[in-house]
Amino acid sequence: MSKKVISVLVAAILALTFVMAGCSSNSGTKKTTDNSSVNDTQKVEPVTIEFWHTFSDTEDKILNEQIIPDFEQKYPNIKVKATRMPYDGLKQQVISAVAGNATPDVMRMDIIWVPEFAKLGALQPVDNLEGFDAIKEKAFKGPMETNYFNGHYYGIPQDTNTKIAIYNKTLLQQAGLTEPPKTFDELVAAAEKIKGKDRWGIAISGTGPWGIAPYFLSLGGKVTDDKYTKATGYLNSPESVAALQKLIDLYNEKLIGPCILGGQPDTWGGMKGNNYLMIDDGPWFYSIQGDAAKQSTVPALFPQGPGGSISVVGGEDLVLFKTTKHPKEAWIFMQYMFSETPQKLLAQQAGLIPTNMDVANSSDVSGDPIISLYVQQLKTAWPRTPSPNWGKIDETLGQAFEKVFRGKATPQQALDEAAKQIDEFLQNN
Amino acid sequence: MLSQSILENKSKNNKKNSHFKQKFKEWFEVLPFIGLGLVLLSVFVVYPQIKNIYMAFTNYNIMPGQPSEFVGFANFMRAFHSEKFWLAFRNTVLYGVVTVPGQMAIGLIVAVLINNVIKGKNLYKVMIYIPVITSWIVVSLIFKYLFTDGKEGLINYALLKLHLISNPISWLQNTWTANFVIWVLGIWKGIGWVMVIYLAALQGIPNELYEAAEVDGANPVQTFFKIIIPLIKPTTFFILINLIIGAFGVFIQVMMITNGAPLGTTDVLLNYMYNRAFSDFEFGYASAISVIIGIVIMAITLLQKRLLKYDEFNY
Repeated sequence: MSKKVISVLVAAILALTFVMAGCSSNSGTKKTTDNSSVNDTQKVEPVTIEFWHTFSDTEDKILNEQIIPDFEQKYPNIKVKATRMPYDGLKQQVISAVAGNATPDVMRMDIIWVPEFAKLGALQPVDNLEGFDAIKEKAFKGPMETNYFNGHYYGIPQDTNTKIAIYNKTLLQQAGLTEPPKTFDELVAAAEKIKGKDRWGIAISGTGPWGIAPYFLSLGGKVTDDKYTKATGYLNSPESVAALQKLIDLYNEKLIGPCILGGQPDTWGGMKGNNYLMIDDGPWFYSIQGDAAKQSTVPALFPQGPGGSISVVGGEDLVLFKTTKHPKEAWIFMQYMFSETPQKLLAQQAGLIPTNMDVANSSDVSGDPIISLYVQQLKTAWPRTPSPNWGKIDETLGQAFEKVFRGKATPQQALDEAAKQIDEFLQNN
Repeated sequence: MLSQSILENKSKNNKKNSHFKQKFKEWFEVLPFIGLGLVLLSVFVVYPQIKNIYMAFTNYNIMPGQPSEFVGFANFMRAFHSEKFWLAFRNTVLYGVVTVPGQMAIGLIVAVLINNVIKGKNLYKVMIYIPVITSWIVVSLIFKYLFTDGKEGLINYALLKLHLISNPISWLQNTWTANFVIWVLGIWKGIGWVMVIYLAALQGIPNELYEAAEVDGANPVQTFFKIIIPLIKPTTFFILINLIIGAFGVFIQVMMITNGAPLGTTDVLLNYMYNRAFSDFEFGYASAISVIIGIVIMAITLLQKRLLKYDEFNY
């Protein structure tokens, strides 16, 4: 008998909790809808928009202490809830957010992801919004184009970057040079002079396009035609094969360091430990390491090879998710982030290269010697093939190069095979 | 006569009815206790599994409300024709072949040793069990640093100092050394669990058997092989099945330590599946791989039950 009573009691309690949980969530939603209706009648109830980004420590501080307060002062009706996300695993996180309808309103996203998420249908085109044309006019063309997919623009550029050559001052002196090498041949000659135990001339951060492309392209290699429709005939052209062969030869002569295949020391460690004469990196190298790095290194343009001095375009775009509840306010925030104040703050205090040409050309920004080097390098930099299949192209290229460095294939074999696969990816855009 | 049989029938029916009533009452009484679990199980286990099987036959679109094209067995055919899938399959099987016997042998030896010490039994148990409850992520990162390439890596440093090697080994840059690191981690982390289960089994062996063996003049090695091993056979089967199923779940350490590098030659099925889904957005294909994994595990379990007969011992 008592058993029965207990079980009935438990059932009753369980049922009650369910009902109560249902009630409370119901009343919750009711409240928020009330709020928004108040909003419509012009009573000042701020709208909160959620903003995801991957700003670095320094940049995050500028965002929270200077940029967002300035924005909220200018637009008191809009509050910005900024969330800093770790770059590792971020793509997966955004995908789950998209699938679960839990995306932020605005996100500062790696330029290479924009076409992919646009194809997926997660982003809203912004080229029909008021004020877009003015932004397009003011923005650098390369970074702007990274937002383009299938006839529409799905975002606006926030900041851009590229990589330049960074030399170790001590080793440069030991090689008998007073200034950085101007050509690839000079670099190789200097590398031979300092070559020794735990000492290498060139440190390439990996076999993926972001790591190796500046060397491959400067040495005359090509990935696709200028319109990004075809890789066969370009990636496996005699010039490309020769460029890759040259890199392999340098690696076998121990002029290129072990970090290209993930070995130790890595580029930053090798620069600090006087193991590497030259590494390459983006503006964050100096903004993260601070003044000590400025003392011990010399930045310069990529050395000229048969293909010129060609680096890679990187950067971040601002995108608007389809599921946003406040598209108007989110767009206002995006436009603001492209405007002078935030772009200038991030350029001057964190070394982020502005995408707004007015800001980039203003004397406060272009006066910085390091930023002006990056801006100059950007003029010839390679925007990685804009394609929703870039992720797969990136992997294919990286594995093709890796196979060659590991001695699993000749340059001709690896590039022939990769070109064929990339052709397919480009056709299925 | 007739009325009697009718009466009998009636009473039978009554009995049946009351039997149902009884069952119903029982269910009603236990429902509050299992109801919540049942709901959670269906929402978080049963439904995702059914949906997963459905996804495996489509070109699945992750966007809510978007149609997904039905493609039949195309995803499965693609897996069977993919070199990378078979590489991952090979590595998963190898992981099982190496780590399952490794964990069981070492775990059993440790269990017997601990069972025989008089002082500090719990201390040893805790020490050996700690790896089991540590986070996979943390120990994977620690192993990655231990086996760093170059002479700065701790393992390389120790081996160099001991003059066992003359040049630092690039542990994570070669297929087999990298697989070795993954296997060592798997064995090290699994020993504790095997030990605990075996210890429980060892404590179930009556003392009289040891005493009888001693009287008959058996030495410790004979006792181990003739008494202990046969008597813990059911436990061994239990551990074997669990470890094999566990081996198919090898994932985090591979993702954290090599992520398939070099060139996908250390990839395992779950990592391959994860990257297809969350890096390439190929959810249909990834679901097909997970269905294949599920079928393989089910087949192995059934086969084991067939091949290895469970013998219950009665002392």
